[in-house]
Amino acid sequence: MSSGQRFLYRVGVVAVAAFAVLLLAGAVLLGRFGADSPVDYQDDLDHFKYGSLGSEHEFGIPYWIWRALPELFSDKLPGNGTGWQSVGFVFEKGKQLPVGMSQRRYLGFDVVWLNCAFCHAGTVREAPQSEPKVYAAMPANTFDFRAFMRFLFATGEDRRFTPQDILLQIDIIRKREGLRKLPLIDRLVLRFYGIYFMRERILTLRDRLSFIKEQPEWGPGRVDTFNPLKAYFNFPADKLAENERIGTTDFPSIWNQGQRETLKMNLHWDGNNVSLEERNRSAAMGTGITPPTGDRKSLKRVADWLRNLAAPVYPFAINKDLAAQGAPIYKNYCAECHGADGKDFRGEYAGKVVSIADIATDRRRLDSYTYDVTVNQNLIFAGYGDERFSHFRKTFGYANSPLDGVWLRAPYLHNGSVPTLRDLLEPSPQRPKTFYRGYDVYDQKKVGFVSEVGEEKGRKYFQYNTEEPGNSNKGHEGKRYGTALSAAEKDALVEFLKTF
Amino acid sequence: MADPKKKNWLKIGLLLLVVLVAVGGAIGWYKFFREEPQPDWVTATPDMRFKYGSIGAEHDAGIPYWIFFVLPRMFPEKLPGPGGYASLGVAWEQGQELPIGFTKKVIGFPRVANNCASCHTASYRKSVNENPIFVPTGPNHTLNLQAFFRFVVDCAKDPRFNSAEIMREIALVYDLPFLDKMIYRYLLVPITKKRLLEREAQFKWVYHKQFPLWGRGRDDAMNLTKYFLLKWPMDDTLGPTDMPSVWNLKKYQPEKGMLMNLAGDSHDARSVIIDSALGLLSAAPHNRGEFMGQIDWLVKYLSEKQAPKYPFPIKEGLAKTGKAIFDSNCAACHASERTGTRVPVEEVGTDRERLKSWSKQAAIESNEVVRAFGIERRGLVENEPSGYIAAFLDGIWLRAPYLHNGSVPSLRDLLKRVAERPKVFYRGYDVYDPENVGFVTQGPEAQRIGTKYDVSERASGNQGHEHGVNLTGAEKDALIEYLKTL
Repeated sequence: MSSGQRFLYRVGVVAVAAFAVLLLAGAVLLGRFGADSPVDYQDDLDHFKYGSLGSEHEFGIPYWIWRALPELFSDKLPGNGTGWQSVGFVFEKGKQLPVGMSQRRYLGFDVVWLNCAFCHAGTVREAPQSEPKVYAAMPANTFDFRAFMRFLFATGEDRRFTPQDILLQIDIIRKREGLRKLPLIDRLVLRFYGIYFMRERILTLRDRLSFIKEQPEWGPGRVDTFNPLKAYFNFPADKLAENERIGTTDFPSIWNQGQRETLKMNLHWDGNNVSLEERNRSAAMGTGITPPTGDRKSLKRVADWLRNLAAPVYPFAINKDLAAQGAPIYKNYCAECHGADGKDFRGEYAGKVVSIADIATDRRRLDSYTYDVTVNQNLIFAGYGDERFSHFRKTFGYANSPLDGVWLRAPYLHNGSVPTLRDLLEPSPQRPKTFYRGYDVYDQKKVGFVSEVGEEKGRKYFQYNTEEPGNSNKGHEGKRYGTALSAAEKDALVEFLKTF
Repeated sequence: MADPKKKNWLKIGLLLLVVLVAVGGAIGWYKFFREEPQPDWVTATPDMRFKYGSIGAEHDAGIPYWIFFVLPRMFPEKLPGPGGYASLGVAWEQGQELPIGFTKKVIGFPRVANNCASCHTASYRKSVNENPIFVPTGPNHTLNLQAFFRFVVDCAKDPRFNSAEIMREIALVYDLPFLDKMIYRYLLVPITKKRLLEREAQFKWVYHKQFPLWGRGRDDAMNLTKYFLLKWPMDDTLGPTDMPSVWNLKKYQPEKGMLMNLAGDSHDARSVIIDSALGLLSAAPHNRGEFMGQIDWLVKYLSEKQAPKYPFPIKEGLAKTGKAIFDSNCAACHASERTGTRVPVEEVGTDRERLKSWSKQAAIESNEVVRAFGIERRGLVENEPSGYIAAFLDGIWLRAPYLHNGSVPSLRDLLKRVAERPKVFYRGYDVYDPENVGFVTQGPEAQRIGTKYDVSERASGNQGHEHGVNLTGAEKDALIEYLKTL
């Protein structure tokens, strides 16, 4: 070999080696950052509570940042709160993520965000000293969506939302838990990209949802369903009609969906859709999925499970005789609209929309859903064949809902303006004008949650004021609605409803 | 000497080149020119075809579907209000992907364009607690066409109308396949922007600062023809008029000297349909045979389609009384030999601006242009506009506001002296007013949704047609009752 040949040979070897290294590095990086895999659960219940619908793709927060935020910004949490519990997230024993939060490996990080259960799982305590029991698919009675968002937005606005402060906080937590520091590559990505990107995301979301600031406080267990959709469409909020700007309602329970589907019931409070499948995807968008990023298989699994999920049985004592006295009263007064009983939802008007003039409950929610929203929804999931929304309809009243598991669905009426079933059977002037929400100790006498407790162990509960716009407790009253029954009859009816 | 090895390589190379060109050509054809028929539901009934069927406008006037999709989300501030395209007053049915009159067709890629139904579908609500009812071939009194024209051009002018931002917005709603992403990013977005901007010059008068806005339900149709078909420079005329109903066109009998369009600008229904359709195409038809096939279908459909019945109760007895009043006061123009013919403007006395927006010269040149497309038709009337057509009154209840420029809100108002007719009202709100026969034009909701109409503005005068104004109140009631039956 001449020296020239030898040189060329060496160059060749180096080039091949360099290429191999690059290829290897590429493969490693692809493996490290290319994965898109959710944490899966065998059990359907666990899947409901913790499984991923794909919302992490657009909104995911790296797990360790999620852990760091409530510690670094504890001063921004409501009350003198510690941890995510202070905005009402429910944590089961031994879990680092709350019910309603899923995890996925995406873009090289374990990222977390929401699933159905964050709005549709709640807790019940028999007495203040009891352990809370988690019920899947009941309304998230303790979760304060708005407090959660307010906290998140406040962190994004804070000067401590920097790579330095957040990484330091992560180090502190990991050290406390006996873990090593985050790997260098994670630190680098978070330091130079991830944390700035997250901050931008949070602030963008804050700006899109700024209209919420103008609304009366939601309190725990409630959400405005369709005004955020207008924000999603980017409708200028300041140009919306005054009467459509508030649409706050209770989270609904979501068990027994199959019978509702079979009976073609109008779903949502105003009955604006008869397609269960569409309603599900629409609700899933509320967790943060988008048409391109939603996990169809996972959502289908949840939907199938909810079809046959039975409402939880009332766990406290029921006076059988009294309940038996209530049964005929139910049949006379309620069954036509609310179904034969807690298992059989058939009734002449069950699942149908009653005009607002008849039901006379607060009309804000009804008015918040406009014809313009309906037709814009027609474009959601466009490009994905039959998935495109085509069943939404503007209605002019509220839908009659079956009462399965009604004991867990307090407070009552679509806006959650009446704390207990017994209160609902009183004419509106006799219903509580203010009461507390978010407390999960059960009131077996009046059937609902104890609504007179404003504070427990330093945690404040939300005072609901029926005078605020959107919060009226009027309607669903008069002879036909049972508010003229005798006290004994009302007691019997309430007892009977415990069996639903 | 040629090396046989080299020759082989050359052959292989050439072959490869041919294959490459063929494959590239096939992909190019598939991605840009392949025409897919619209789905079956579109043509399932004549009404559906009228509402959603393509008339071929997607070739030159089509906007790539995903760009059309994201524009209202990216540029909501350029729309008249919240609601995306709905804020333009389009007739949008629940469950339908696109508003009535918006057609989706795949020509290489899905495109959105318009058909006749966008301006010729009426909507009304019987009360605030009801959803709208749509009437194909009725006048679209809610559509803010000028705002739509401005919207697309304004979007194109915005620096945010660029590939990066549009692709980011599309990615939020649809995961385009890789090749389509490239096509959108490097071709469709820049080309769409360019083509929309090219329209700006022709749309100059739509932005004229001294001109009042057309408002909902009106179209400056003759100027549209002058600037788009004839490409004339902008002049100082303005003639917005009500969108007309286009049902029952067989009532126009050209052999009896009847003319069409508000000022008798055209000879027959076929000519009007051709000219209007060409306006939607904004170019010569891509395939003339196909285009003429669409025209023939439209002529037939619109000839036969009848006006909708009045949807509220009618007092039979009163209407019968009204018939006599109609016969002695209105029939001479509206139910006689004179109906469908020009009434001199001096006689009817209504606003003249619309007449000034058209001319004999414009008619002659337009006829030449259409002839040059290879389309034969009787065409536009080659004389100076001198009056307005005495209208047929079928379905008159749904054709409010009244007079050619829509300057009088209701039939009851039209039976008042000019001085007593409303001077300011709001157009484009769709709740019906059976009391006065017309739409609700006052009140907070009409103000919020409608556009303000001020009769003192140019081309908006409510003078003229002071017929029946001397009838007694009872006679007017009876006459109005009868008019509901038409």
